[in-house]
Amino acid sequence: MKNLLLLVGLLIAAPYFSDASLRVFACEPEWASLAEEIGGDKVSTFSATHARQNPHYIRARPSLIAKIRRADLLICSGAGLEVGWLPVLLQKAGSTLQPGRVGFISASDHVPVLEVPTVVDRSLGDIHPEGNPHIHYHPDNIVKVANVICERLCQLDAEHAVYYQNRLGQFRQRWTTAAATWKKQSAALKGKSVVVYHKNFSYLIDWLEMKQVGSLEPKPGLPPTASHLNQLLANAKANELSLIIHTPYENDKAAQWLSSRTGTSVVQLPYTIGGDDQSDDLFGLYERTISLLKEAL
Amino acid sequence: MNKYIMLMLLSVLSITAYTLADDHSGKTVEIEKASDKTIECADSCLVRDNSFNPSVSMILNAKYQQFSADSGDFAGGWFIGHEGERAEQEGFGLDHTEFAVTANVDDKFRGSSVFAIAEHDGETELELEEAYIETLPGFGLPSGMSVKVGRAFWTLGYLNEHHAHADDFADRPLPYRAFLDKHFNDDGAQVSYVLPTDLYTEIGASTLRGNDFPFGTSNDEGNEAWSAYARIGTDFGDNQSIRIGGYILSGNTGAGRSLMDEHADHAHEGEEEEEHEITAMSFSGDSDLMIADVRYTWAPTGNSSEKEVILQAEFFQRIEDGIYSISEHGEEVVAGVTNEITVTEPFTFSDVDSSGWYAQAVYKFAPQWRVGVRYSQLQSPDVPAAFAGEHEGEFDPAGFNPEAYSFMIDYSNSEFSRLRLQVNQEELSDGNEDTQVVLQYIMSLGAHSAHAY
Repeated sequence: MKNLLLLVGLLIAAPYFSDASLRVFACEPEWASLAEEIGGDKVSTFSATHARQNPHYIRARPSLIAKIRRADLLICSGAGLEVGWLPVLLQKAGSTLQPGRVGFISASDHVPVLEVPTVVDRSLGDIHPEGNPHIHYHPDNIVKVANVICERLCQLDAEHAVYYQNRLGQFRQRWTTAAATWKKQSAALKGKSVVVYHKNFSYLIDWLEMKQVGSLEPKPGLPPTASHLNQLLANAKANELSLIIHTPYENDKAAQWLSSRTGTSVVQLPYTIGGDDQSDDLFGLYERTISLLKEAL
Repeated sequence: MNKYIMLMLLSVLSITAYTLADDHSGKTVEIEKASDKTIECADSCLVRDNSFNPSVSMILNAKYQQFSADSGDFAGGWFIGHEGERAEQEGFGLDHTEFAVTANVDDKFRGSSVFAIAEHDGETELELEEAYIETLPGFGLPSGMSVKVGRAFWTLGYLNEHHAHADDFADRPLPYRAFLDKHFNDDGAQVSYVLPTDLYTEIGASTLRGNDFPFGTSNDEGNEAWSAYARIGTDFGDNQSIRIGGYILSGNTGAGRSLMDEHADHAHEGEEEEEHEITAMSFSGDSDLMIADVRYTWAPTGNSSEKEVILQAEFFQRIEDGIYSISEHGEEVVAGVTNEITVTEPFTFSDVDSSGWYAQAVYKFAPQWRVGVRYSQLQSPDVPAAFAGEHEGEFDPAGFNPEAYSFMIDYSNSEFSRLRLQVNQEELSDGNEDTQVVLQYIMSLGAHSAHAY
């Protein structure tokens, strides 16, 4: 009994021996990575999800409650992406990080959101009234969110404001240069038609000026059906379909089915940090994405 | 005795929590204050959701049921509440139609209410399942702490906090039916605190009126029950996570918990011995319930929306000290005239120990499909032979242990709809085997619900 109590005590006390940096809770790995770019060694980041998980369906795990309870800054995509789990976590943790607070960044509030629906009805599938929340696949959005992160870090930790601002400046310079290069490299992709699994590449497609001609899901949130796939197949020719793209967390069965009948190549894009070995930061993610798309053409 | 060991553990945890809570480094406190500030809204800051309006949702839930046995009565000695009983009617029936409204009241309070229109054996009832207020961080309690006041599905075991529509099976396992009459939603107040630790640790306690099953109708003496709990949870790697909890619910039944369920009469139908007919039966005294729960989830591919394994088990132990009062019809002869009277006999018991447990496994093998299996069992209390003999029919001296097997398969077209087929094999009293087939639909309308772990 004594030993057990001692063990419990130690487990509880353990975190107090750790460093005193700002704790950043990111809902998705891309925001954890961006926070590291700006915060450097003054922040310790944690990502609630990894690249093999669909960020829309996450269990409100007890470990996440503990993490959010101690977080100083929360960065999430917003626009309803985390609606199934984030509110529960915030409520259970009794967290002061609530929308509208300095410690709460809802990234989609700070960028132009695509695909805001004019009609919202569940018969159309699980559509977000706020628009498409998968905003991180557009370099301009990354810059906009980086600015907000820097602003909030400065407010939370005024002592190191200069440090954060310097890092933001350096990051922006590297990023805009890289983004211009990627755009140039991907000129061949312009105007190409793609089919996606779920509409989580809309910003990438918008940036590269490609055409989204369909999704394997008949309605957002519903798995592919035979009749819907047949329809896609029928339209593939007319659309001059060039690519079928999906994320690491989406089953590629339907994509392979369509590919085998149309001869169109299927590309699994990393989607976020950790989506494959090369995508270990935002630069890696974008570089890898562009090169995979080009190879598949 | 278990109660005290449990209490000791819980209080050690609370004390550790209390001392550690003050152990913030100066910096963290400063940061907490800063992150508390509201941002000044620029043009980019738009109101995009309906958070200014209450989120409103409705659950439509119905069942088609068939039973092989005529009665689903529990063995003698188990006095089951109104909700815990098996449904009497076969065929189509509406279950609970739930209506939920929840919103932040202002910067300090959140309010929530759930009421259900329920069908019980052909009668429509309106049940106020929950109606409570809860403090928001703006209230100014220490970070991680909140207070809930009103009527709620209190933190007690795994299932109690959840509404039945979120369950993995169409019915509650035996221990919930026997010990909590499906759920415990007394009136009271609860304080909960999430410790500032990396290992998820939550503790809480409540004071309750003591009016809901397993307690009886309260005297007007205020609160007669209390509860306490502690929970820890963590992840193993990227794709597995676990939560373990210990709970205690203790109280006095006050004026007494009726032990006459609707079906107690059946045993006496057709019997000619009118003078021994039991007219009332109740328990009054102390009732302590201890629960331990564990839930484990594993997403083999990392993506739980595609494949997932959920294991869950709960253990219940109830210890009661008090008086069983049994009122019977009798006759007395006064001055040559026979009068019908009611004779009430009190029987005092101490440490009446009954327990139960269930374990279940659910496997999501395709994005829309899940299968599940569950076993539940109850261990009947030891009733002194002399007492049992005298009241055969009410108490089962052999101490039969009810058990049930359940199998289910469900299909969820979207997050908002679910269809389920469940087969139960129950033996709740000796030799009375009951095979049940349940078809169920659960549909949710309105606000996108967020689900707890």
